[in-house]
Amino acid sequence: MNPQLDSVQPPRLAVWLVTLFAPAEQAEVILGDLLEEFSHLASSTGTASARGWYWRQTLRTLAHLTGSGFRTAPWLTVAAVLLGFLLMRFAFRLPEQAIMAVLDRYQVYDHHFDVYKFWISDGIVIGLVFLSTLIGCIVAVVAKGREMTATMALGFIRAALGVIGAVMMVVLYEHNWTLWPMLHQFAFAIATVVGGVIVRTWRLAATARRSAA
Amino acid sequence: MIGRDYLGEFEHIIVLALLRLQDRAYGVTVRQEIQLRTRREVSIGAVYATLDRLEAKGYVKSHRGDPTPARGGRSKRFFRVTAKGMAAVNRAQRALQSLTEGLDLIGSYS
Repeated sequence: MNPQLDSVQPPRLAVWLVTLFAPAEQAEVILGDLLEEFSHLASSTGTASARGWYWRQTLRTLAHLTGSGFRTAPWLTVAAVLLGFLLMRFAFRLPEQAIMAVLDRYQVYDHHFDVYKFWISDGIVIGLVFLSTLIGCIVAVVAKGREMTATMALGFIRAALGVIGAVMMVVLYEHNWTLWPMLHQFAFAIATVVGGVIVRTWRLAATARRSAA
Repeated sequence: MIGRDYLGEFEHIIVLALLRLQDRAYGVTVRQEIQLRTRREVSIGAVYATLDRLEAKGYVKSHRGDPTPARGGRSKRFFRVTAKGMAAVNRAQRALQSLTEGLDLIGSYS
């Protein structure tokens, strides 16, 4: 085999995504199969074409892994998503309340109005992004082995509700159409999935440490 | 009545591919065999999702091969059809034969 082609590696991001979504044993087999075909394609059709093929395979494989993650443990996944939904519902005002309490405590409004303005608008959004990440982590801990399926489902529901809410505000209450509330909801949805990525990565690292020991 | 104990279209295709490949049946060869014979591009994820479902139904069995350098030190997962799987594929083939008997499918659509 051509030594130059030996060093051709598949896209690292795609490999990482498969590792995130597939159970550890299945990830090993899938990545082995993909690498085997990728190497053949790289030597016959070129690296760029092989990388394109690898990405197409990865994206379609992720969709199947998400589906089978749900099918193998539907109740656990639904329970985890429901828990996340309830946490979102009841903890949604916590960042605002906490920020208001601190701002009042230190009388920021009177002494540093610009700081007050920042925290009352962007600060609350940042707080909600952190809260969404935390909720994503909790959901991923509960949905053991299906971290990505559960957090992606929750993120999708959240983004969908955000879009519905924004449309309703315009249609029912004749609010002016602005993109920001919807973008915030998308940011919260992504933060929820990031929570899943954090827990999944931590679990993979723990498994690797145990195997090495 | 056979209830849910039947083969779906893609399950049927996969079992037939396993039968063709015999002891060479693992992810890559199964995917390539299906692509070659059906001219439809399938993802490795679809192949494994279906193989896992077939294994849960008891239609196929799998075992791990040795890790190879060509696969970055990762092992292959080989599959074979069980007696229950053979019975299911025979049942599906008979059903298809019975349904297509007397039909001039090629003539009707040419």
